[in-house]
Amino acid sequence: MLSKIAKTGLTRRTFLRSTAAATAVGALPRASLAADKVIKIGFLAPLTGAVAAWGKPGLDGCEIWAERVNAAGGVKLADGNYMVEFVAYDNEYDPAKARTGATKLIREDGVSFIMMLGGDTWPGVQPVADKTGMLFSTLLPSDLSPDTTTLIAPTEVHPVYVVTGVEWLAENKPELKTAVMCAQDDALGLPSVATYLAAFEAAGIEMLDEPLLFDPATTDFAPVVTRLISGNPDIVCLDTCYSDYVHPIAEQLFQQGFKGQIISATADFYDQMIAKTSEEFMEGFIFNFPDFDDPALNSDQINFDDPNGFFAEYNEKFPGQWGAVSWEYASIMDLWKAAAEKAGSAEPDAVITAMKDGKGKHAFGDADWWGKDLFGIDNALVGDWPVVAIESGKATIKEFRNMPAWYDKHGDLLIKHMKAYDQMWDQRS
Amino acid sequence: MDLLAQTGLNAVYAASYISLIAVGLVLIFGVMGVINFAHGELYMAGAYSVVLIYSDFQLPFMVAVAVGLLFVGCLGLLMERALFRPLKDNPLGGLVASIGFLMIMQALASMGFGVRMEHIPPVTQHVIEFSERVRLPLSRLYVIIAAVVLLTVLWVFLKKTRFGWALRAAAQDPEAAALQGISIKQTARIAMFIGAGLAGIAGALTAPLVSVNPHMGHSVIVTAFIVIIVGGVGSLEGAVIASVVYAIVHTFVTTFFDGVVADITGLSLMLLVLIVKPTGLFGSADRA
Repeated sequence: MLSKIAKTGLTRRTFLRSTAAATAVGALPRASLAADKVIKIGFLAPLTGAVAAWGKPGLDGCEIWAERVNAAGGVKLADGNYMVEFVAYDNEYDPAKARTGATKLIREDGVSFIMMLGGDTWPGVQPVADKTGMLFSTLLPSDLSPDTTTLIAPTEVHPVYVVTGVEWLAENKPELKTAVMCAQDDALGLPSVATYLAAFEAAGIEMLDEPLLFDPATTDFAPVVTRLISGNPDIVCLDTCYSDYVHPIAEQLFQQGFKGQIISATADFYDQMIAKTSEEFMEGFIFNFPDFDDPALNSDQINFDDPNGFFAEYNEKFPGQWGAVSWEYASIMDLWKAAAEKAGSAEPDAVITAMKDGKGKHAFGDADWWGKDLFGIDNALVGDWPVVAIESGKATIKEFRNMPAWYDKHGDLLIKHMKAYDQMWDQRS
Repeated sequence: MDLLAQTGLNAVYAASYISLIAVGLVLIFGVMGVINFAHGELYMAGAYSVVLIYSDFQLPFMVAVAVGLLFVGCLGLLMERALFRPLKDNPLGGLVASIGFLMIMQALASMGFGVRMEHIPPVTQHVIEFSERVRLPLSRLYVIIAAVVLLTVLWVFLKKTRFGWALRAAAQDPEAAALQGISIKQTARIAMFIGAGLAGIAGALTAPLVSVNPHMGHSVIVTAFIVIIVGGVGSLEGAVIASVVYAIVHTFVTTFFDGVVADITGLSLMLLVLIVKPTGLFGSADRA
């Protein structure tokens, strides 16, 4: 980490000093706006532990979002303008801590909306959501069910978007005929396994083996990789493995001589993977989360404000920290702000009603509220999603593909595999 | 055949780093009678030594490993003096104190380095190719060689030197050893330095091969406890042999079934040993 900072001309000490200064500067607008009305937004996600890479970078992105929105006058409701302040609670990806955090954010902090990563932590929070009627968001629509109408998945449609990468591969690299897959055995890994299986089946790509599940506590991935590549597959699929797993698995694939195609939901900090392997090895690595300096994000269909500027500011403030979720929670806030301003209120019921009125402005283009078949409720905002490839050491958007269009053709396969892995909303306990 | 050979190499590597950690844990328990729950965090401290010295300051990897050994060995001395010695008359005191130390270490690592995994540049990308599908990266071979050398040196130290005899005597019967003029405090310090140092060097050597983060000690401490229970609590030979058995079983089951089944098999192995021979394969009844 520090070597990356050092490359930018900073030492650990100056980095800490500048971080402290940035924090102080960040606090200034809040202090100067103390007399203004404030809306508090809860950020309930893992900020420490193995899953922190899908929490902390999102909070960093939200701080940039808040600075921008507050500088532009805040959120404009019926009774005036409100400044936005984020209140974070580290749930450590633990359901019990997530429940405590949700209760604290609602009762003590008085937040108007709570953003979560979801997954294993959602069952802990669900009773709080049902009891209070608080509006929650998740990055994982597999948390959705008709039981909780105030849970929405407005940005990431995990794991449905992974079908786009497989579909793109099948069309652009038809010589790839066989695949294998590994995943951690948890609430993030299993629905993704089912979705990749459906996508491979739809694409006519044969699975050489059952998906290889590993314990989330695994540290040595050599045995996993040995097994994966023992049948000489054309494609190794890393499912939705956490970056703590994607990196050592990719390194093992490199060291054990794999020369085929790799596909993964994410490739956070892929520059470090390249450093551990080689640019040649990582060439063509397919995943689904772009860098926001990608020129393709400047097209008219994109609903994320100034993606290139956001990316530059993020990297300046948090060098080397950009990851899959850096923009996602900020994008959710765009939707929430638009809905709250439309409703003229931050009340959960009013916001969700306004949000679901017509098409939603998803970051990657206008999208529909969707999900009744898979999740029992149309609370996932689904439209286009990018297919990203690493080319010459840089993430590059290859194409945007439409998820509902894939589902219209292959939805039965997805439901079949989801049911086989007990991942349909009515199968989850 | 290639699959078997590659899995065998994977198992040898796993046995190497597990035995380094488990032997250190056993040594501390054998001499001091303390179950050191913070042993995984000593492993983590060794890994962060490499982050700081090798990755950040860009000094040679072997310098970072040596610093890891010395730094974590000194952490062990600190634990002995500040935690275990004052609580030596309290049966649960050391255990509880080590849990507290574990949390402090994790918090310090989070504050000092952040919560995300650290990127450590590869020490070497050279690979020994036995065939297209049987390969041993040099970075893993280093761990295997280091484990063999260190455990051999430890064995010679314990069996052939006066300090080693004193250590073994203190482990077998502290009161009788004290009556023979052996300093129990001195042996405790030596045991803590060596035990912690082994965990530190294991963390340092494997740091470029694993995800280095403040919580990385969790998984290794569970494995180490399984190994020392199977091998016999207090038995160094048992810890080494159980490490080899566990590594072979876990690696082969992961490869031929899956990782979740491998974890269940490892725990089942421990339960089986506890039922058939509660003192472990090489443990004695008075230490168990």
